[in-house]
Amino acid sequence: MIDFELSPQQKQVRDMVHWFAEHEMRPISLLADKEERVPDEWLRKVNRMGITLSMSNFGGDAGKKEDDAPRKEPRERQANRLGVIAAEELAWGDPAIALSLPGPGLGGPPVMSTGTPEQKERFLGIFTREEPRWGAYALTEPGAGSDVSGIRTSAKKVDGGYVLNGHKVYITNGGRASWVVAFATVDPSLGRAGHRAFVVEKGTPGFTCTRVAHKMGLRASETAELVFEDCFVPIDNLLGGEAHYENRAGSSGFRVAMSTFDSTRPIVAAMAVGIARAAYEYTLEFVKQEYPRGQRVRHDVLAKLGEMDAKIHAARLLTWEAAWKADLGQPNAKEAAMCKAHAGRISLEVCADCLEIMGPIGLDGHLVEKLYRDVKVFDIFEGTNQIQHLIVARRLYEPHGLRL
Amino acid sequence: MISFLPTDEERAFVEVAGEFARNRLRESARDAEKARTPSDDVVSAAHDLGLLSLELPESLAGAELPLVSQVQVLEALAFGDLGIVQGMPGLCDSASVMRLLPHPERLELADGAAQRVPWIHVEPGEVAVIVERSGFRLEGVAFPRRSALGADQLLVSFLAPGGEAIVAWLDRTAAEWSEDAGDVRLGLLAAHIGRIGFEGTIVRPEDVLLRGDEAEQVIAGAKARVAVLEAAKCVGVMRASLEYTIEYTSQRKAFGQEIPKFQGVSFTVADMAIETEAARNLVWQAAHAVDSRGAEAMQDASRALAYALRSARFVTNQGVQMLGGAGYLQEYPVEKWMRDAQAQAVLYGKEMEWFERAGSRALGLAEKEGVLV
Repeated sequence: MIDFELSPQQKQVRDMVHWFAEHEMRPISLLADKEERVPDEWLRKVNRMGITLSMSNFGGDAGKKEDDAPRKEPRERQANRLGVIAAEELAWGDPAIALSLPGPGLGGPPVMSTGTPEQKERFLGIFTREEPRWGAYALTEPGAGSDVSGIRTSAKKVDGGYVLNGHKVYITNGGRASWVVAFATVDPSLGRAGHRAFVVEKGTPGFTCTRVAHKMGLRASETAELVFEDCFVPIDNLLGGEAHYENRAGSSGFRVAMSTFDSTRPIVAAMAVGIARAAYEYTLEFVKQEYPRGQRVRHDVLAKLGEMDAKIHAARLLTWEAAWKADLGQPNAKEAAMCKAHAGRISLEVCADCLEIMGPIGLDGHLVEKLYRDVKVFDIFEGTNQIQHLIVARRLYEPHGLRL
Repeated sequence: MISFLPTDEERAFVEVAGEFARNRLRESARDAEKARTPSDDVVSAAHDLGLLSLELPESLAGAELPLVSQVQVLEALAFGDLGIVQGMPGLCDSASVMRLLPHPERLELADGAAQRVPWIHVEPGEVAVIVERSGFRLEGVAFPRRSALGADQLLVSFLAPGGEAIVAWLDRTAAEWSEDAGDVRLGLLAAHIGRIGFEGTIVRPEDVLLRGDEAEQVIAGAKARVAVLEAAKCVGVMRASLEYTIEYTSQRKAFGQEIPKFQGVSFTVADMAIETEAARNLVWQAAHAVDSRGAEAMQDASRALAYALRSARFVTNQGVQMLGGAGYLQEYPVEKWMRDAQAQAVLYGKEMEWFERAGSRALGLAEKEGVLV
């Protein structure tokens, strides 16, 4: 049955996360941006509260294909829907801080979907400890941005494990992470079939964080460059174990990398929706206060506000649709790309229009200016807008026998 | 519980409607446009399938379907041809007013569901309302509206001098009005678009169905319903244009390769798909909201319509663009869909006004969802 009301559980998650966003995130939002870091004390506090942007808690199992074992649970899974609902609220609070919340982050889904039971226990178990811990996901390289099949980080098989050599960029929480899921290739000539996913632990000799980047926005979030120099990784850290790559057809490592996106893109889209909503609501309040009783709000301002409301709702529903499909265990690559493309685009438009409405005053210590800087990357990371369009177009033309 | 899954019943109904749209509506679209009306046999086939009385209340032999089911059926029908759908009897805006009337059974439809009854909700400055001893007198010409031509009955609503809202039912046997087809050439040519001329038309006390608060509520509720239903039809024409464009471009080669391999084409088509999906989701959400909250969900309904009108213009325009010169020729359907979508936007649009009202509501400026809002 078509339904858009939140279930009691969904409402509860939304209300709880919203409370946290409003009372714990917003107060430190502008300061964290200015200082380009989230206060340690704050992180310890929220870690104790158990708040996380953990993909393994909220989502993380999208991308399962219909040919997987049929499910028999009487209750419909709603992890992905809960994930997008929570992500929207957290990003509404502050997107940079949301990305800095302790937890496995983007590293969660590949460990969940591909890791052996021992690996899951070993790597995900650390997040139950008292001190904040992070996981990270290292795929992108300087020479291979969106074309992730072109990664060059090498994994050379040696006795007892692999030796990694290569350079990764734009890794969220990459410096502070206790471990990183790193993608490397055993042989670039094999293309996608040569890809392997490793969990590389902090402190492994030859694995270093060389730089934390300064960015236009999301300044409180740590974006690191990582280098592997003759870095030995024991065989136990090969995600899924050797057998996983031998038994499955060819491009398994690549599939691990890609299927992550089917669950994380809706999360990222939801965050973009949350940012747009934050800017919209902030501007609404601003307009209310700037136009005292009796003074007419200009028509173009009213129309812009109405238009923003429509765009935000459209993006949210596309996001819900992608998450809903993932919960049903249906392939959702097209929907995940659609929501990411739409939310990425409109969220910047909304933030820009909000600044336009506020005028020069908006530049000076207002949240909207920060949100505008923050939101731009949501149209870039987790696959640029162009990549999303390519994915959508491929799916549209596939049934007509055309490969793009 | 967020869900995008239609029920089995809905799916079955949509399948029937979809097949009819593909086989009958799509096929006869150009003829209907030329004749400026759907053919009698298409109308009677639609009637037999129960497609003309989806919105009408049961007491008027209607199906009284929830909006969330209707929007799926209408989308499927408009996928066949929006022009014909808009020219079908029964699928008129007045059905939404009838649906909300406290005693619809008191109405006597001249020819059951297969009747075109326009709803003339008088806009400010459109038609003058003068109080007479025996009711009201209407003077002026109403703007062009769908279903106006050939109507034997009219639903009119207006604000009487003094601000009281009135809903009335006029019948040719007792009331007089003229009709004028004008010179409509843009689109929706089978939709019986015309102006209604009131020259001293008398609305007698016995013609008045509702007045005051009751009338206001029904008008507001019907406006929300009409917005959602019309938005659903927009999604249908978008889907038609999208599907045809994919089909056509996947065959078309230029510079030695299929043109979707140029990203200027494939990215545009992806945008068409994203906009179509976004509009459809908004329509479904609004339908769900109006089903449960009535006129209180006006924000959802107007958001869906404004977005759908804008998207329909975008998608159908890009459909023509992607076909290039062929898109401009009437041998291909996309130019018609573009004209139809634009005409639809003109009839139901003033998109910026919809957005403006939404902004007003968000700011709490439109305190009362009055009949003029």
